[in-house]
Amino acid sequence: MKAIRAMVLVSGDPASIAQGAHEVYQRLQKEIKAFGLQDEISVSMITDVGRHDALPMVIVYPEAVIYGPVKPEDVHFLVEEHLYKGRIATRLVAPKKELSGRIAWLAARQGTLPAEQRIVLERVGLIDPDEIEEYIVHGGYEALGKALTQMTPNEVIEEITQAGLRGRGGAGFPTGLKWRFVAREKRTPKYVICNADESEPGTFKDRLILEGDPHNVIEAMVITGYAVGANEGYVYVRGEYKLAQARLRKAIAQAREMGFLGKDIFGSGFDFDITVHAGAGAYVCGEETALIESLEGKRGEPRIRPPYPTTHGLWGMPTVVNNVETLANVPAIIRHGAEWYRGFGTENSPGTKLYTILGNVNETGLIEVPMGITLREVITIYGQGMKNGAAFKMAQTGGSSGSIVPASLQDTPMDFDSYARAGVSLGSGALLICDENTCVVDLARVLMNFFRYESCGKCTPCRVGTERAHQILTRITEGRGTLADLERLEKLSQGMRQLSNCGLGQAAAVPLQSMLQHFRAEVEAHIKLHVCPAGSCPMSSRRVTTAA
Amino acid sequence: MIRFTIDGQQVEVPEGTTVLRAADQAGIYIPRLCDHPSLTPYGGCRLCIVEVEGIPTLQTSCTLQARDGMVVYTNTPKVREAREFVLTMLFSERNHFCMYCQESGGDCELQSAAYGEDMTHWPIQPNWHPYPVDASHPDFVLDHNRCVLCRRCVRACAELVGNFTLNVRDRGSKTMIIADLDVPLGESSCINCGTCVQICPTGAFIDRHSAYLGLDAEVEQTPSVCVGCSVGCGIEIATRDNHLVRVDGDWEAPVNDGLLCEVGRYQPVRDERKRIVTPLIRKDGSLQEATWDEALNLVAEKLKSLAGRGSDGIAALASTRLPAEALYFFQQLFAEGLGSEMATSTDGHAARSVIVNGQAGSLEALKTADCVIVLGEDLVKDHQVAGFFVKRALPQGTRLIVIDSGENALHELANYSLRPRPETIRDLVAGILAASKGSDPSQPDVATTSQRTGVDADTIQAVAQVIALAQNPVFVCGAGAAEAAEELAKLATSFEIPVIGLGGGANSFAAAKYGLDKAFTVNGQQAAYLALGDDNPAQDLAQQLANVPFVAVQASYVSPVTDIADVVLPVEIWAELEGHYVNLEGRVQEARRALTPPAGVRSNTEVLQALAQRLGIALDGNWLAELGLETVVA
Amino acid sequence: MPETLERVPMRDPLTDPEQKRIIDEILERNKNIPGATMVVLNELQSRIGYISPAMQAYVAQKLRIPLSELYGVLSFYSFFTMTPRGRHTVKFCMGTACYVAGAPQLIEKAQQILGIRLGETTPDWSITIEECRCVGACSQAPVVMIDDDIYGRVRPNKLPQLLRKYQRQ
Repeated sequence: MKAIRAMVLVSGDPASIAQGAHEVYQRLQKEIKAFGLQDEISVSMITDVGRHDALPMVIVYPEAVIYGPVKPEDVHFLVEEHLYKGRIATRLVAPKKELSGRIAWLAARQGTLPAEQRIVLERVGLIDPDEIEEYIVHGGYEALGKALTQMTPNEVIEEITQAGLRGRGGAGFPTGLKWRFVAREKRTPKYVICNADESEPGTFKDRLILEGDPHNVIEAMVITGYAVGANEGYVYVRGEYKLAQARLRKAIAQAREMGFLGKDIFGSGFDFDITVHAGAGAYVCGEETALIESLEGKRGEPRIRPPYPTTHGLWGMPTVVNNVETLANVPAIIRHGAEWYRGFGTENSPGTKLYTILGNVNETGLIEVPMGITLREVITIYGQGMKNGAAFKMAQTGGSSGSIVPASLQDTPMDFDSYARAGVSLGSGALLICDENTCVVDLARVLMNFFRYESCGKCTPCRVGTERAHQILTRITEGRGTLADLERLEKLSQGMRQLSNCGLGQAAAVPLQSMLQHFRAEVEAHIKLHVCPAGSCPMSSRRVTTAA
Repeated sequence: MIRFTIDGQQVEVPEGTTVLRAADQAGIYIPRLCDHPSLTPYGGCRLCIVEVEGIPTLQTSCTLQARDGMVVYTNTPKVREAREFVLTMLFSERNHFCMYCQESGGDCELQSAAYGEDMTHWPIQPNWHPYPVDASHPDFVLDHNRCVLCRRCVRACAELVGNFTLNVRDRGSKTMIIADLDVPLGESSCINCGTCVQICPTGAFIDRHSAYLGLDAEVEQTPSVCVGCSVGCGIEIATRDNHLVRVDGDWEAPVNDGLLCEVGRYQPVRDERKRIVTPLIRKDGSLQEATWDEALNLVAEKLKSLAGRGSDGIAALASTRLPAEALYFFQQLFAEGLGSEMATSTDGHAARSVIVNGQAGSLEALKTADCVIVLGEDLVKDHQVAGFFVKRALPQGTRLIVIDSGENALHELANYSLRPRPETIRDLVAGILAASKGSDPSQPDVATTSQRTGVDADTIQAVAQVIALAQNPVFVCGAGAAEAAEELAKLATSFEIPVIGLGGGANSFAAAKYGLDKAFTVNGQQAAYLALGDDNPAQDLAQQLANVPFVAVQASYVSPVTDIADVVLPVEIWAELEGHYVNLEGRVQEARRALTPPAGVRSNTEVLQALAQRLGIALDGNWLAELGLETVVA
Repeated sequence: MPETLERVPMRDPLTDPEQKRIIDEILERNKNIPGATMVVLNELQSRIGYISPAMQAYVAQKLRIPLSELYGVLSFYSFFTMTPRGRHTVKFCMGTACYVAGAPQLIEKAQQILGIRLGETTPDWSITIEECRCVGACSQAPVVMIDDDIYGRVRPNKLPQLLRKYQRQ
């Protein structure tokens, strides 16, 4: 490894790229070379930095100075000043401002704002994801070595069970227990599947993990394989995530080369390898049995359960399916122990959770925070308050599959159990914060439109229910609803929740339920008064606009 | 055995039985649409939900396995409400306005389920969107407006028929039933077996021939047996006012589990041949109506004069579509009584391959086979239902080896497709067996076999390997492999590998057992008697008979052979006759009368008896014992 | 052999030797992998750009799967397209945030400008427009994705300029 004295990161989120990040990146490389610094300074493109006011950004380590917006023509000056002469190029430094999200955490390394707790994102953005050495230098594959050489598979499962790790895909199923179900199956081969078909609108946490720290997920999968007795792993990556796929493939190749994948890993006699499988644009494939069908090359229609994948998964064999974020917790738990892990989060939901904050707040982005913080905290601390000082009305959790959480629940701790008690769900980690100008009927209609487009069509309640609910909601937003429609929606919501075959249909009912439970008056206003209190529904228009 | 309770009733079922099946057995009907006893559970329509004590959510009984001590309720208010919800969804999805549908009035399972819930309307706006109607198929119409997307048809086409023509396209509410690459049914790979029509719970698949002609309640159903080929499928003949309405596969039948092929289902209803209803005698060069006595006397007189004469005596041919009773009479009358040296059946040649060493393999073996070797028979064209059993097992990894020198549509589906030189099937089978089952010095080695048959040695070796490794290999042997019958017989006995011998016509097995197994040739005979029944005579038969001075034909339909006949004796067709058929497994099955024959038409046995009486020949009725079956499978 | 293979239309990728070579290479590499259907379709889609009916028949034949099964898979996933794309594909994000921020209006505008409907291609083969799922750039809503480039906060009045740029390329 070369002795790198400084690292330069260029923000590579879509918005930055749109504003010339690629040119900045290329210029940086050229200028660094021109100054003869190519052997001591590394330049990487990273993904979303969680701040959108001064893009593209250039972050220079070890000082963690944030420059932005940087134009290609600024690069020469920046390299000369900061990297060659060692002076901070003050005129390019991003505007001072209360920082949040990633940036907050980056800044926190200088001791300015202790904010997030990073376990999953520990290395994301810090290391070059294309270099396995950097991962190793930062403690990578230590956990794998420990698991394979010092622990029995059972001890690994025990550690994860003790840590209280729960699935981050939305359902919160205890990971240790799932592993144990697979470990005790006698039939082989067994499989480990990493569910990276992240498709909830507004959720991109898994993408950042895969793009920023792919080796973490690979390491976790090998540990999982060791624990349950599987020798083959698949990462099912959402089709749109081209960069994540490329990085994963590269990382897998590197891991193979270094012996972290393949035969006889760490001389333990344990073999494991991973295949990357790209999805092709079907939201329902995030459901684990649909994902398995899709891996088998079929239509992604969820299977009937039982049997569960833990006994009859891929090709009918015992299979662990874990979400990216869940897996990303595993190496840290093995490295530091269950005790350490339980120090974060709450009693029943230890650890941290990733959230993408969207909507009408001042700062949007990705954060990793301990389980159990409240919506109020998220909005005020990380979101920097509501935009234009508007009032917080509701939050839509978890992309589409979560709930519409009313303002009255903004002080409820965000963990699996507290949310379940309040009758709402955490979902996959997207938080769409809405102010009073957002109409709940319109929001429900948009969500229902998504579901009817993504329903696989296998079972009646979901296939027809989403259509009918969308029809009725559209009618209400156009001022043509009747009070009987409320009863119909109630029935639809109940029927879809009770009778659907998989989580998609059940989740489709949730927004309806939340709407009728917490915002009934607003819906009735549409019907009785032909008024949209939020002023967003096209009440007078009879034109039906549908998205799909 | 599992013991549990449904609606307070104690039920005992074998382990692995679903709650829905258990309820069926207990006589408790749970409405369902996607489920069907012949298909694997699907859990799509969600209509069959039940409440189970201790489980908070409603369960689909079609996918729920019964467990000891389970307490199931099928009719609680919660269940009924949910059922009504599912029905509401389905009714509102497409066009389900019953009054315009030909299934309305008892045949539609959707409508019946709604009646069961006392539904008079559905409280939600329907979709109002029109869907296309595919009327490109000659035998049925697919009306997407009536489709509930239960996918019984799709699953039947794959799981039962193994043809995989049907599937669904798109997803969600855009899901539609399609054929192949979304082509019209009439231009698809559909083989017109009609299973999709039979299994459809609603009026989405409409049978062109019987639509609006008779609901289940209005027709008479007669269980019988198909006489299309030697498989012997169980059928239900639907008739109304002494007219044939439709032929359905009998879901309870042991041979075919409800499946039929185009020959069994649609050929009878498409039949446009001209029926003969009075005896005819040739006078002044043309056939003229006569009485039965005139006709029978004339034939008896002629036959009597030629009795006992060998090669210039009587040539007699019986169709294997005739019941066993008639074939047995025919054999006694012509071979024994009249001493004809040429008394045989229409399946003379094929029939010989049926009986392999006196044993007949069971079709059941195909259902558990992990390796099927098909010799000399195109199961896509003939014996199609046996072909379904093979084709549908392929996705489960069953290996298919096809050995046929000629055209065979199965070659395309085969894992190993062997085309030996003509007349060398016997050598090939012997060679494969030698390579597969250990060294037998008396058998030729692979290289010799390869040289002789023209099949390359590697393939022979690979096939031998596959057969050796198979747990349940099965041979299916058709007319093209008659020469290899001896080798196959060896196989059946020494390695206990089942060999299914395919015959030709429905009663080719019985014909062979009665010794009616020569190839039919005419060589100087002075008279010919042809018991055709409702069969279509072979194309060159009339030509063969051109120089025979006297031709008597016992037939139901006008054909080139009746055209040249001197006497025509009109007989019953398949749906009118009563009698027995012995399928390729040696299974004796009863054909029952579904239609009353026209006045003036007699049964095949009656005609043969009347002749025997006039000729003073005594006939015994021991047709069953004469089959020589050790066990009779009913 | 399926009928469609007997009369492959002109301009089908199967009639172009270079593209045929790519198709064969993809099929050859994957034909013995169980469940390869989706892998093959994914690669064909990204390298050929679409999967024509003749290609569908060809793939089904090579992978030894029924035509109907192939079509069922192909039509289930929104990535796969059966008609040729234009040189550029303009995708409108239909995620919740973009929808609320006016994606439908953008689509309306694009359809007006180009004179085609969603899923169609302009007569000069320059642009295909379609909608897509959330691309994870919600803070930039409404988002338009042109090929691999993402444009955020697109206003309807800025759209003609943007489209024209690509149309000329």
